[in-house]
Amino acid sequence: MTKIDDFSMELKFTETYRRNLSEHIALREARCLQVQFPATLGTIQEGDRLAGRTQWGWVGFSPHNAPPNCAYGYFCHEQKIIEAVERGNIPLEQRDGVMEMLHFWKKENSKAKVEAAFTPKMLPVLFRDEIVPLPYNFKPMIAQPIYRMAGVFVDYQKLVRLGLPGLRQEVTEYRDKAKASGGDHLLFEGMLLAIQVLADTCTHFQKQAEQQARACPDPQRVGQLNQLAEVLGWNAARKPETFYEALQLSWLYTLVSGSLELGRMDVYLGDLYVNDVEQGVITEDEALSLMRSLWKLINQLFRDVDGRIIIGGRGRPNEANADQFALLALETTRTYGKAILPQLTLRFYEGMNPRLMEQALALIGEGHTFPLLYNDDVLVPGVANAYEVSREAAEQYMPLGCGEIVLDHVGFGTPSGSLNVLKALDVTLRDGVDHIMGKRLGLPTGELRDFHTFGDFFAAYKKQLAFFIEILADHEELEYVESGKQAPYLYLSLLYDDCLPRGKAIFSGGIRYLGGSLESFGTVNAADSLTAIKKLVFEDKLISADRLLQALNANFAGFEKERHLMVNCPKYGNDDAYADDIMVELHDFICNTVRDQRKRTNLDWYLNVLINNKQNTILGRWVGATADGRRAGGPMANANTPAGGNDKKGITALINSIVKPSHAIHAGAVQNMRFGYDFFSKDKEKLEATLATYFKKGGAQAMITVINKGDLEKALVEPEKYQDVFVRIGGFSARYVDLPRDVQLEILSRKTY
Amino acid sequence: MSEQGIVTDIQRGSLRDGPGIRTTIFLKGCPLRCLWCHNPEAISPRPQLFFTEDRCVRCGACAWACPKDVHQVRSGSHEIDFGKCDSCALCVDECNSNGLRIVGKAMDVDAIMAEVMADMDFYLNSGGGVTLSGGEPLFQHSFSLEILRRSQQAHIHTCVETSGFVAPAKFEAVLPAVDLLLFDYKATTDEDHRSFTGVSNQQILVNLDAAYQLGKAIILRCPIIPGLNDTTDHFRGIRALDQKYPRLRGIELMPYHDFGNSKRPSIGLAETPLDLRVPGETEPNRWLEALAELGCAKVRIG
Repeated sequence: MTKIDDFSMELKFTETYRRNLSEHIALREARCLQVQFPATLGTIQEGDRLAGRTQWGWVGFSPHNAPPNCAYGYFCHEQKIIEAVERGNIPLEQRDGVMEMLHFWKKENSKAKVEAAFTPKMLPVLFRDEIVPLPYNFKPMIAQPIYRMAGVFVDYQKLVRLGLPGLRQEVTEYRDKAKASGGDHLLFEGMLLAIQVLADTCTHFQKQAEQQARACPDPQRVGQLNQLAEVLGWNAARKPETFYEALQLSWLYTLVSGSLELGRMDVYLGDLYVNDVEQGVITEDEALSLMRSLWKLINQLFRDVDGRIIIGGRGRPNEANADQFALLALETTRTYGKAILPQLTLRFYEGMNPRLMEQALALIGEGHTFPLLYNDDVLVPGVANAYEVSREAAEQYMPLGCGEIVLDHVGFGTPSGSLNVLKALDVTLRDGVDHIMGKRLGLPTGELRDFHTFGDFFAAYKKQLAFFIEILADHEELEYVESGKQAPYLYLSLLYDDCLPRGKAIFSGGIRYLGGSLESFGTVNAADSLTAIKKLVFEDKLISADRLLQALNANFAGFEKERHLMVNCPKYGNDDAYADDIMVELHDFICNTVRDQRKRTNLDWYLNVLINNKQNTILGRWVGATADGRRAGGPMANANTPAGGNDKKGITALINSIVKPSHAIHAGAVQNMRFGYDFFSKDKEKLEATLATYFKKGGAQAMITVINKGDLEKALVEPEKYQDVFVRIGGFSARYVDLPRDVQLEILSRKTY
Repeated sequence: MSEQGIVTDIQRGSLRDGPGIRTTIFLKGCPLRCLWCHNPEAISPRPQLFFTEDRCVRCGACAWACPKDVHQVRSGSHEIDFGKCDSCALCVDECNSNGLRIVGKAMDVDAIMAEVMADMDFYLNSGGGVTLSGGEPLFQHSFSLEILRRSQQAHIHTCVETSGFVAPAKFEAVLPAVDLLLFDYKATTDEDHRSFTGVSNQQILVNLDAAYQLGKAIILRCPIIPGLNDTTDHFRGIRALDQKYPRLRGIELMPYHDFGNSKRPSIGLAETPLDLRVPGETEPNRWLEALAELGCAKVRIG
């Protein structure tokens, strides 16, 4: 029998929203949340030590954790609903309602609200109604809006300190004060309802656990389920007093709030963890088992770019206890097995407990991708400068998702736009016209042949970039304004600083800092392309402007010689000033122009990020051949990493290059580094010295991968992307791709390299 | 302009040529003809054409560019008359598939030092420095000496990988500028040495002794080639040196690998007539055991 497509929750949610259209937005949201939870909560599964699974509906409310392709806020998954309509298995009595619901949300979903408010300047550039949600993008856009409220880092410490009753009491006091002074007391009424939804969620799972315990034949599992039921029951009514209770409460808050980040877990769980272990309340093994259960929930419920758990670093009031928890978190990642989540993130500084870094490197050496490493000695002053906040405030920086930085529960900065830096160069060569669509995207600044000097050309490119950056900054601001008009995002407003005392919702003037970030992609390829244009067209005059364009338009077919010359131009990542200087100039220009947007907008900060995700590949598909020798549609380099293994001079030269772009003017740059397995096993001291030097020279961040057999196999197929891979042969190292085929195969057959 | 020399490669971030993180400069030219040579392109002191046949697409562009008729490209074959080539590089510029290159580049000491100095922080944090390798680096004697002196002035640790086959006066001239010698020991008897490398070891042993008597830090490097010098007699010879020179910093056995063979046709050398055997995975450990039995304690696999 075919499954029935039951839309009763979605219909009730929609009806509740409509009935409350003219009500206060806080009450409307709270009443919608009451429909959403516990209706969309999932079932505790075999082995779960923590409760908290969801099955989101196709209509609902969430700042970030909506189903994929659903944007954010009030969302409606049109595609899924249409698919259900086509299947024809919607219960008869729901059919009319479902179609009506579909039509209702078309204008009323949060993304549509933002798009309806586009300014005339945004319209031709941001392609309203033509945007296909991430991760797919079928339009060759330069500036692309992103719809989500990402990077939710609520004040978990406060949550754990107060528990639900304490939180309720605090909000009640604010409500009474607001009532007395004529303030917006209904906002607080909404918050109280939201707290009750969370308490009901605890009770819901408590009953579920009890029920499962009664039906379970395994006495050990019965014990676990009864313990879980107790923890949930406790949390519904009291503040958490054990590590287990605090862990469970914080996870449920993450879940219902629609956040995808877990924040400084070592700070908010460290004291209870150490206390419980010392008092014999819990064993380390038992704690590890709870943590592994959390890791499992995160892996099953979150998407691949989020799920940040931050450990270590400056600004932890309970450092010794936090360190103990941090070691537990590292051990959890080690014993959980290789997984894409959570993105365990180690912040470190000189003088921190060295065991954390030792353990971290041991994990990486075993082939784990985590932890990601963040250098506080560079990032704290860098963030203070970029965000214009005190050093103390900067100590609470939090990398989210792919690497954008925000400030823990005082500042929001969702990345709401992406900029295809390489495609902007593409149109600068062609008077602002995109040659793939044959459509004007940029400003009419002339064709390459119109420029007499490289400086003039670079200036035109900068003008184009600034044009797109301004539009994206305006869009970020607009997204907040429209989001704030539609909903107070109660769970965020509850646990973000200043919302309660100000009596305002997070995006309507409540939060202390409302910032934003712009994801830029393709900067490294653009810099290398500029280098090639400068050298070949303007300086050495080996290729004329027209011939260069012909070569690019032809995707190098018949222009192999030209491509050869382009490929052999200096490239970023080799400690070569000719190429690196251009990268630094471009990086500085983009970062500073983005940073200056705060003067034009009401954003407290707006900063560039250079991050890892799939967008470098997806956006690259719509960029033609480029002057760095990249072929049409090929991927662009990730983050601040040299393009396609262009770093040929070894790790030290790579490091010297990547520390050149400033880290005090952006909101995060990811550095990928590859090391051979031998580096970890046989040359551990040299590896540590290499990293120490990198971080001392101003390295802010490192994502380290150990080269494995799969990489070497790929290197055989696409040698040009693996120029940076060195392997050990007898007593020396050699660049893998330069070795003869038989030697390559011989090395591949070995266990280590 | 500072002194010029011919360099085959500069490897930064090297982990294998002495302590710490190093910059290794490979210099061209070697008077020895070791049967197992793994860098045959570093034997000739002059720049020379290097052909990677795997990459050749037989387009014939090189043949058009070459004024000396070095390249004969027909469908399915690309013959090179290396004897006619004067390394003018015109063909290299035309080769879009990167199948041709010139090994050996004239560089002056200033350019080399700029590259060396760029990694200063890495040397300091790891106890690394600069290493001259080759070929036989002391073959370009005054060039090497200049690099070593300039490095030493900059307080950079210096290391030389040498066969020791250098005129004693020249050898002693560089010693003050060297912090660590990686000194080859290839055969025990003079007869073997001549047959394996083409030269006598007498002068080499004199130089080793001179360096030792001057108190230089020395690591002995012994390439072990199965069937040639993996003999008890040679191991005894190693042990004898160990006893004679108790202050040796270490003895490293370098197991033979045949990577050099594949490079010979790339530079127009005949394939090596000997079919040397690459040692098996556990074989080097047996060498260590044999040496340990002889009482040699400081030996390890390099």
